[in-house]
Amino acid sequence: MSQRVYITGLGMISALGNTVSEGFLSLSQSKTGIGKINHLTTRYKEEFLAGEINLSNKDLADLVKDSNPEYNRNTYLAMIAAKEAVIHSGIDTKDGLRTGLISSTTVAGMGITELYYKELFEKTDHLSVIDTHDCGYSTERIADYIGNVDYVTTISTACSSAANAIMLGCRMIKHGQLDRVVVGGVDALSKFTFNGFNTLMILDREWCKPFDENRKGLNLGEGAAFLVIEGEEALNKRQGKPLTEIIGYANANDAYHQTASSPEGYGATLAIQQALAMSGLNPSQVDYINMHGTGTPNNDLSEGMATVAVFGNQIPKFSSTKAYTGHTLAAAASIEAVISVLSLQHQTIFPNLNFTTPIASLNLTPIHELLKTPINIVLSNSFGFGGNCSSLLFKKV
Amino acid sequence: MDALIEKLKKQIIEQLNLAEVNPDEVSADSPLFGEGLGLDSIDALELIVLLEKHYGIKIEDPKDGKVIFQSLRTMAEYIKAQGKG
Amino acid sequence: MTKAYINGISCISAQNTIDDSWYFDTITPANGDYFSAIEPSYKDHIAPNLIRRMGRAIKMGVTTANLAIIDADAQKVDAIITGTGLGCFEDSERFLLAMLDNNEQFLTPTSFIQSTHNTVGSQIALIMKCHDYNFTYVHRGFSFESCVLDALMLFEEGKETILVGGIEEHTPNFVTLNRRALKLQIQDTTMPIHQSTSNGVQLSEGSTFFLLSKHKSDKSIAAIDGIKTLYKPKTSEDIFEKLIVFLKLYNLTLSDIDVTLMGFCGNQHFDKYLNELLPKLTTNTAIASFKNLCGEFYTASAFAMWVATKLIQKQQLPQSIVIAGSEPKHIKHVLVINQYGGVNYSFMLVSQC
Repeated sequence: MSQRVYITGLGMISALGNTVSEGFLSLSQSKTGIGKINHLTTRYKEEFLAGEINLSNKDLADLVKDSNPEYNRNTYLAMIAAKEAVIHSGIDTKDGLRTGLISSTTVAGMGITELYYKELFEKTDHLSVIDTHDCGYSTERIADYIGNVDYVTTISTACSSAANAIMLGCRMIKHGQLDRVVVGGVDALSKFTFNGFNTLMILDREWCKPFDENRKGLNLGEGAAFLVIEGEEALNKRQGKPLTEIIGYANANDAYHQTASSPEGYGATLAIQQALAMSGLNPSQVDYINMHGTGTPNNDLSEGMATVAVFGNQIPKFSSTKAYTGHTLAAAASIEAVISVLSLQHQTIFPNLNFTTPIASLNLTPIHELLKTPINIVLSNSFGFGGNCSSLLFKKV
Repeated sequence: MDALIEKLKKQIIEQLNLAEVNPDEVSADSPLFGEGLGLDSIDALELIVLLEKHYGIKIEDPKDGKVIFQSLRTMAEYIKAQGKG
Repeated sequence: MTKAYINGISCISAQNTIDDSWYFDTITPANGDYFSAIEPSYKDHIAPNLIRRMGRAIKMGVTTANLAIIDADAQKVDAIITGTGLGCFEDSERFLLAMLDNNEQFLTPTSFIQSTHNTVGSQIALIMKCHDYNFTYVHRGFSFESCVLDALMLFEEGKETILVGGIEEHTPNFVTLNRRALKLQIQDTTMPIHQSTSNGVQLSEGSTFFLLSKHKSDKSIAAIDGIKTLYKPKTSEDIFEKLIVFLKLYNLTLSDIDVTLMGFCGNQHFDKYLNELLPKLTTNTAIASFKNLCGEFYTASAFAMWVATKLIQKQQLPQSIVIAGSEPKHIKHVLVINQYGGVNYSFMLVSQC
């Protein structure tokens, strides 16, 4: 049952660009996508920054070449990234093999529900938003857009959602339930999530500074990223080309607090250790960690403590790429999975932007300038509300 | 001061939905967090909004809450010191 | 694939299922075009300092999870898997309305935090101090089905005890909006649900949890053999073919099935394929419906699995749910065929163990 699982296609749209290549260019130039808010309607537009995709919904409809008025921003972003991944992989969903789609989102259709909610009780014009509000809606639109999908489901475990979608995809292949799966996550910016994070007082008004002593919080972002993952049998059958192997994954729970991480990072430690145990690797074999690193005082300290707990005094090179994309919530883990694959392909660590001073109690310094270095194994962490902690391990092929 | 403490108590019980918990045990000087009422960091954020909404006081750094929200009395004193309430 | 033994169950639904002694004796009718769950006093199940923040979905979920664990006499669980199509809608709506009414000012975090879809699963983990696997599926009529499939895979991966549940809540506004969108309709209760000619459903809610074990014990009530989901099947023949293949996986044919629980919802368009299947299924089996009791919601299939488990436990088929076929001598295999919105179809097989 334990066949190997490979990543064979990538798709990503984020503040770094509309495609994986555009994203790679921004990363290589250490250029952030976070800036002034243009498209999101909020009274705090001038006060905060965000990793916004600089396209209107009309622009997105043009990219998708389908302007169904019911589609919301979340759905457009997901369709664009999923299609890019499928085309990149070269799979043909009509070839008789079983293809799955596992998506993830937290905001779902809220971005459009919040625009019309009040008037739904008075007028009938936008009543269809009650069909597009739930998380499954965008997944089914992606499934129809890709075509010939045998299994669909959607995961929502806050900011670790896409890591869990990737993990489930691997497991379904290993269990022989599917031959290949399009996995990933999406979250468009919405007034609802923006205000929600604002009430938690964890938004930085300036560029976020992950792992810096003077970090003040996170910047929200939006985006979607999908990966095509295939079992080696299906891949051999079509003589496809693997990009990266997925060799470990784990999900554990911090069970400490509804939103905050435990000070010692217990759930994170468990997730990293269990992913390593699955891969059979020693901690010393990890070459680079793409951290969750949101830039909040709580996350970075807790994640740093977990890193020390697992790696002791041999901390691998690490960086957080949240200062490029902003925190894209359910999409974060799949965006960072794409970035991890790019790191392996180009043997490059994309630097942790805006870093100057290590956290005093940890004294850990992230890679903060672009670094070409041999990388064989990448660990990627994603942690979410409800203590949901997931870690993924990628290996160069 | 006592009137303000009493008013605060009512507002907190309402805002934090504490009616079913044990509001009678809360005195002016009993701790709001940890032991006592057992409030947590989410409640602290709720109290920050309570001060803003009812007393026009803005707290920018949630860490400041630690000192201000020790008890009903410290909250009332803080409100007075800001010239509100 | 390994079987999952059902060692504990608990259900809050539109019927009095929260009362252990209830067995289809008193049927509570819908409130016009919707059902509300019959809820217990939550103070008996959840600590007051936790309850003060919880919306109804969370209260229903945490209570039924707890009761399923008690029913199974389980000491710990290795995984918590929840399914919910809409999540904690009451909290989402509260935060949304506060944001719209106050023009994004004076907002507090509690309802935002609680609106997160994985709140029920994470609250259970917090209360139980469970550091293990914790997933939440949010895919419409596949939300609960995805949980069951995941649990079956986890057992093969070495987990021993898994908590699985489906949770859904509605709010008065949500009922109103569904009504305005012409999705709801009062059903003619003198007629069996599959013969309904209506264009709407009776919206409902509830929470059902199962404590599953890899090993059979004296606590085991029934076993889940397998699960299969079908997204947008093209014809009812397509569904039928896949059903035969599904049963074959467990060395069964249609004639081995004693009771088939079908997810007729009352909307004649959504029920079309199930009605086309009906004559092919009646040979040797009793056909029963369940949405005339629990109403329609994304995780109604969790209620169906509760019914399946109870039928096997009690070995008695209540006439109030039978719509066709013959009375079985013995209830060994119960098949659930569900549909949601005429788009999400699923099969679940529950057997005596």
